[in-house]
Amino acid sequence: MTTASPESPAGGGPHAVRLLRVTDLVRDFPGLRALDGVSVEIASGEIVAIVGHNGSGKSTLVKILAGVDAADGGRVELAEHEGTRTELHVIHQDLGLVSELTAVENLRLAPDPSRSRLAPHHRSRERDHAQTLISRFGIPFEVDVPIARLAPAQRSVVAIARALDGWKHDRNVLILDEPTEALHANEVDVLFGAVRRAAATGAGVLFISHRLDEVLELADRVIVLRNGRKVADLPTRDLDHETLVTHVTGSDLHHRPESGPKRVLGKIALDIVGLTGPHVHGFDLALREGEVVGVAGVLGSGRDTLPSLVFGAVPASAESFRVAGRDYLRRSPRESVRRGVAFVAGDRVTLGAVATMNARENMTLPDLRPFTGRFGALRRRAERATAGDLARRYDVRPPAPEQRFAQFSGGNQQKIVFAKWLRNEPRVLLLEEPTQGVDIGAKQFIYSEIDAAASRGMAVLVCSSDAKELVRLCDRVAVMRNGEVVNELSGEGLTESALVAEGYGLTTTITPNRGAPHVQH
Amino acid sequence: MSSTDSIATRWRRALSFRNISAIYIFIVIFATFSIVTPETFLQEGVWRTLLDAQAITVIAAIGVMIPLTTGSFNLAIGAEIGFAGILVAVLQVKQDMPFIVAISLTLLAGAFIGLVSGLIITKGRIDSFVATLGLSSILLAGLAWMSSSKQVIGLQDGFREIATSTYFGITVPTYLMVVLALVVWYVLERTPVGRRMYAAGYNPAGARLAGVNVVVLRISALVAGGIIAAMAGVLLTSRLNTGEPTVGPGLLLPALTAVFLGSTQLAGGRFNVWGTVLAVYVLATGIKGLQLVGAQPWISDLFNGVALLSAVGLSQWEKTAARTAAVRRALPFTRQGDDTEPPAEPGDRSPSVVAHR
Repeated sequence: MTTASPESPAGGGPHAVRLLRVTDLVRDFPGLRALDGVSVEIASGEIVAIVGHNGSGKSTLVKILAGVDAADGGRVELAEHEGTRTELHVIHQDLGLVSELTAVENLRLAPDPSRSRLAPHHRSRERDHAQTLISRFGIPFEVDVPIARLAPAQRSVVAIARALDGWKHDRNVLILDEPTEALHANEVDVLFGAVRRAAATGAGVLFISHRLDEVLELADRVIVLRNGRKVADLPTRDLDHETLVTHVTGSDLHHRPESGPKRVLGKIALDIVGLTGPHVHGFDLALREGEVVGVAGVLGSGRDTLPSLVFGAVPASAESFRVAGRDYLRRSPRESVRRGVAFVAGDRVTLGAVATMNARENMTLPDLRPFTGRFGALRRRAERATAGDLARRYDVRPPAPEQRFAQFSGGNQQKIVFAKWLRNEPRVLLLEEPTQGVDIGAKQFIYSEIDAAASRGMAVLVCSSDAKELVRLCDRVAVMRNGEVVNELSGEGLTESALVAEGYGLTTTITPNRGAPHVQH
Repeated sequence: MSSTDSIATRWRRALSFRNISAIYIFIVIFATFSIVTPETFLQEGVWRTLLDAQAITVIAAIGVMIPLTTGSFNLAIGAEIGFAGILVAVLQVKQDMPFIVAISLTLLAGAFIGLVSGLIITKGRIDSFVATLGLSSILLAGLAWMSSSKQVIGLQDGFREIATSTYFGITVPTYLMVVLALVVWYVLERTPVGRRMYAAGYNPAGARLAGVNVVVLRISALVAGGIIAAMAGVLLTSRLNTGEPTVGPGLLLPALTAVFLGSTQLAGGRFNVWGTVLAVYVLATGIKGLQLVGAQPWISDLFNGVALLSAVGLSQWEKTAARTAAVRRALPFTRQGDDTEPPAEPGDRSPSVVAHR
């Protein structure tokens, strides 16, 4: 790994300088102690990851460090260097950039105290400055286009560059809150390269994530929070995926039988020939009842738009399109729902649900017929009862169907979305990134629900950027590249590394520690 | 909100200031003017006129509210009312049609205007704000052309009686308002159609993927709004016994204000019928009181403008309060203090957390 360890030269000798010390931090909410004596230390040049379930206290910790929330007890101490205090710079998930402005303009947003506010700016000088800053991260890209047109990873590089630009010295702390959430697997490497470079110059990095693979790849040290307490603080070399999961969950629930009972395949539920639309050319599929088929591929390969095309949310043409043996050519979401096709969209909050409505209203929205009584009125008691049952059945926490969707955590939102679609036992279940931004407990629950749905005879199509997920769930996986299926993997040949290699179009298997590739835009 | 809450909790929530602030404001207004000017403010006639005159405002407000639940602003409502009011008069006076036919054609025209605005917004993909503002200007031009910007007089006797005849001392527009409010309440709050309308308004993309036909709902809502606006126009002309080109457009602001103020009442941020009805009468009472103590006529514009800004501000505040509550609730089940005053925003806390406590 190219990771800067605490002992790296940038850290200033064998005993690196401590930049931030958090001691016994306590934060109480009514009826709940969100942080219970958490202590964290970060040295110069060190990358520390904080992991934990939703509700473990990691977001509370970040909020306190960012100054958005205040602690009820404990100390936060910052080192001094060259006469100035160490600064904390938080990069939130949304990066805080203005997407209509260019990288140069975004970097300029911070006021420059040495110049008058109304002084004209030097276009070329600023452009050069921006290019220098960004080239440090080893992935040059256009700095003069609105950043909305950049890849997400490139945007995160701009955000990090801007954070470093404002520093008087290098001995500061960069806090990244779930930075990979919006990124697809292949872009994460770009971000990691940028983070490592920042650490190599002497910054301390606090990396908040719930993607354990990434944590193991990037961090020097991992701190695990559970129920507001620090349950582990270990160097990464002493950890592997399994022990980390055990620390995070507090139990050994990760271990479930990898090869469950062989599924019984039924009739063809979804039969597609030559589906063509945005980013997809001539997609064929014969999906049987009880079968789980995956679609893999990098961003833009067609994997990401495919489910919307199949569902009819985006117009597409097909030579033949049959659901349960019946032709279905004029597709629309409404008609798909009627024909028993369900779609769990990747973007839960804006597409998967109506976030301002409550859980009950979301769960019943696709089909209100069972609750329609005389004079077209909703039978509210029956609806409430169903919603209550669903909330318990799908382990929604808290089991309060009258709570607004937006107020649930990511994992519980996704459980609500699954309850909403599985309530009516659809024939075909289309899944797009089914566990993105979901904590491990909810992830396991969703996997077992998908297994159970398939064994009940549902046909499932999973489009995911998470190779491990596809291997875990699917009977076979189609790999897409440039809009076409290039290979199909199943049985022994269906492995994580094979999926990744096929997706990138590499013939040899990639080693886990690959360097940061140049991201084509 | 959970069904497990005790009855006392539910009542406390129902009567909280946040839920029915307009009623408390009404009480304050009523008490103030009863003391300041009891001899005029407490006259039965004043209240009878208020009830009758504001019935048309309520109808107009419902006409704005229905498209708004599906996410479309209808800024043309005032022009639609004015247009319908003149059309129904012109058809009677200049075309010599029986008033029943004139009314039917006017309601049809209202539906057509709603359809056109719906198609512009959904198929033409023009933002509803802009689309209805443009449509409003076109309708005002049509209105001026039909009426030559003059009053249209000489309406049929039967027509005039529609809005002026009373049963049990209450005028026909008031009855119509109550019936309309009941129907709209039923559809919005008690039927699958209403549920889908709200869903379409809150998140069109998400609702569409749940199988809701957002386009049809939005167009239908605008058509319904157009018919209701035409109805308000007909009643207005009947009540004034003239086709008056200037009164309709003036109803936009009170209607819009009432809908937004109404959304902060009773239903925790949802546009809703009874909140809207309540808001119309609270606003009208305030204006009436001010007029009785001798305020100038422009006071109503001032009052409505201030009320609109406060109503929208209040609903924004509700949203942030809900967000704060969400932060607490994302952490496990602590439901006590759920309906007490919302806590301070996290930002209100000292930002100097980096220092010790």
